[in-house]
Amino acid sequence: MRSKYRLIGMFALSWFAILSCFSFASAETCLTTDCHADLAQFKYSHSPVAEEDCSSCHEQVQEQHPVEKGSSFELVETGAKLCYQCHDAMGRKLTIHSPVQDGDCIDCHNPHGSDAGPFLLPVEHDLTELCVNCHDSDAFTHDVVHGPAASGACTQCHNPHESNFPKLLNKSMEKTCTGCHVEIADGMVNSPVIHKAVEEASCTSCHNPHSAPAAKLLQKDIQSLCMDCHGDIGRKVKKAKVQHPALYRDEKCSACHATHFSTFPGLLKQSEQDICLSCHGKDDYKKSKPLKNIAKEIKDKKNLHGPLRDGECSGCHNAHGSDHTRLLRGAYPKSFYAPYSKGSYDFCLECHDKNLLRFPETSIYTEFRNGKQNLHYIHVSNKYKGRSCRACHEPHAADMEKLINEEGANFGDWKIPTRFIKTETGGSCSPGCHQTYEYDREEPVDYER
Amino acid sequence: MRYIWLLSVILFALLSGCAPQAKVKSDGPVFFPSAPNPPRIQFLLGVGNSRDVEGNETEVSLFSMNAVENEKAKHFIKPYGIAAYQEKIYVSDTLAGKVAVINLAEKSFEWLKGAYGPGKLKKPINLTVDKQGNLFVADSIRKKIVAYDNDGNFLKVYGEAYDMVPVDVAVDARRVYVLDRSRSKILVFNRRDGELIEGLGQDSEDPVGNLSLPTNMTLTDKGIFYVTNIASGRIVKLDRDGHVLNTVGKMGDGFGQFGRPKGVATDSQNRFYVVDSAHQNVQLFDENDRLLMFFGDPGLPSGSMNIPAGITVTDGALPYYQQLAAPDFEIEQVILVVNQVGKDKVGIYGLGKRKNFDYEAYYKESQELLRKADESRAKREAEMKKK
Repeated sequence: MRSKYRLIGMFALSWFAILSCFSFASAETCLTTDCHADLAQFKYSHSPVAEEDCSSCHEQVQEQHPVEKGSSFELVETGAKLCYQCHDAMGRKLTIHSPVQDGDCIDCHNPHGSDAGPFLLPVEHDLTELCVNCHDSDAFTHDVVHGPAASGACTQCHNPHESNFPKLLNKSMEKTCTGCHVEIADGMVNSPVIHKAVEEASCTSCHNPHSAPAAKLLQKDIQSLCMDCHGDIGRKVKKAKVQHPALYRDEKCSACHATHFSTFPGLLKQSEQDICLSCHGKDDYKKSKPLKNIAKEIKDKKNLHGPLRDGECSGCHNAHGSDHTRLLRGAYPKSFYAPYSKGSYDFCLECHDKNLLRFPETSIYTEFRNGKQNLHYIHVSNKYKGRSCRACHEPHAADMEKLINEEGANFGDWKIPTRFIKTETGGSCSPGCHQTYEYDREEPVDYER
Repeated sequence: MRYIWLLSVILFALLSGCAPQAKVKSDGPVFFPSAPNPPRIQFLLGVGNSRDVEGNETEVSLFSMNAVENEKAKHFIKPYGIAAYQEKIYVSDTLAGKVAVINLAEKSFEWLKGAYGPGKLKKPINLTVDKQGNLFVADSIRKKIVAYDNDGNFLKVYGEAYDMVPVDVAVDARRVYVLDRSRSKILVFNRRDGELIEGLGQDSEDPVGNLSLPTNMTLTDKGIFYVTNIASGRIVKLDRDGHVLNTVGKMGDGFGQFGRPKGVATDSQNRFYVVDSAHQNVQLFDENDRLLMFFGDPGLPSGSMNIPAGITVTDGALPYYQQLAAPDFEIEQVILVVNQVGKDKVGIYGLGKRKNFDYEAYYKESQELLRKADESRAKREAEMKKK
């Protein structure tokens, strides 16, 4: 009987021992105590925490825990070395994020866990809040914000730890941008004309990558931005007495020019003539002084003015501004009557013989002469009512040779007809201006008779 | 037997003496401007007498019975004017009173056959050819213009009834223009009947545009005359209606100035060339009267000029002249200049470009360097002023 009690006593003792062991072990686990239980509450736990392997990072240096002052535990390593026990060491690339450089991993990461994501960051996908803790937030506050910057997808472009590219970019600047903007990458490869700024400088010479005060993330208003490099055009635009309204609409320079690449010279969006006719090639009902429909004016005409024949409006007009009427590149009278004076017709005479209107008699500079009598001179050089070229010639196109205006020039309410007839050695006119006159280069007509 | 040996030795000596001699090795092509500038003009050939055209007498074998080759060489005495038509070159010799007709491609050198009897020349100064190859010679002692056809036959005389001192002549389809030194005018004759029509050249109180001891002229297809004037040192440009368009240069020894301007010629690219017998070179201008370059200055073993006078520029017969050019030098125009004295009486130059060389890029780069140098000089001067 005695031995029976002894057996029961031993069983009870061993059970107590087991229970007491269990309860002792349970009391030593950091996360199950009231002290550090919160570390087990994260949605995403650092794996040592999840495995309750606190000692992989923490080492007990005093027997008593907790202590009132100081700490009875220390980290097994200092700074990033602690992390590099398990994680690959960083800091070998060309550009290193300063917290990584300083070994301050915990500046960004919570070492125990996070509710935001597996990277143990304090924020979910929008990293803005985290990054602007150190980085100046001003760069993100302009009116136009880049998508990734607006959504806090900083790591879409930047590597948070280290990189072989400046600004901690994941790839080179160009590849970072064209990684998303693939149409620009394609255009750069396939276009014959590429903007020098794109080819030789970086995207950020025009664009702000985070946010910008102007559309298309431009550093400033597109016109001012373009003029920074194209200063000569800028000065011309500012000083020009006659301004091209297209330059002051919303799109400004980009109304005519592509900004990155183009198939056409001068980075034009279309061929020169097409781009001009996109405004000047349709009936304009909107304005009190409507734009002329040049497309209609030149359509099906037998003779085009030389530059126009080559598709060049810019041969005569300066789209950026001019000191002369109709944005012409040189002096040409504005009015129907304009007596010849030195320089007043310089623009036309740049291509046409510069001596055309110089001498009352010539056998060289014009075919429009009666013997040697220069009939251009007679028409234009009249001191009181010198006729400008438009009295007889069309500027863009005409069915008659020498762009002679068959229907006639606009003279107030009347279109004065020319009724010009050409002969082998001369011709005749029966215009609204005077009676029929003939002229002949070989056998001059005697007008006195 | 002994005599046979002796005869053989003499015969061998004779034959070997007459065998073609190895030509003296030249120092390589002469280019203007000189290296390291990229070349634009090459001196191609100098002609001193008929041997330079027909071939060297010493190249003739004893066994050759070619009569022409055995003729005496024809020499210039004091040549002055020059004209070219296709492969033919006409050179007037003022002292000999003859005109040489040279065809380099055919290796022929003849005196103008029509210059006897009514076509005789006394002092042919300058000459010109029309589009059909007819030759017009200004004779300052006979005081007439004498015309010959393309084969050298005498045709007619212009200015028969007029007292004048013709020093140069130009023609177009309807007119014959005679530069009259005695009046300092261009006299215009009707080509068909030889009647005098008018005299061109102004008598302005401002002497700049007046002709002043004119010596040479050329007429462009468009009807513009370029006249050189020894007294004023200017080139006067006037049109065939007599309007003075402008003048180029003035007396002096600077770039674009003239000491004794003589021959003048234009080319198909509207450039013009002015010979200066004082500077002994040719200055080349573009159509806007901008000096492009000059060449032929004294001091070179070949290619230098020697009291030069007449000039003509042609782009006819280029394939022949190209053979004379350096292999990598492609010629566009041929410039023929007469030297009144010296060994090479006619200097032939080729204007062109070195193949596969980007002249535009070179000039652009040079201009950029010049611009930078100007900028830095201006900067230095500004800093000096500040100090």
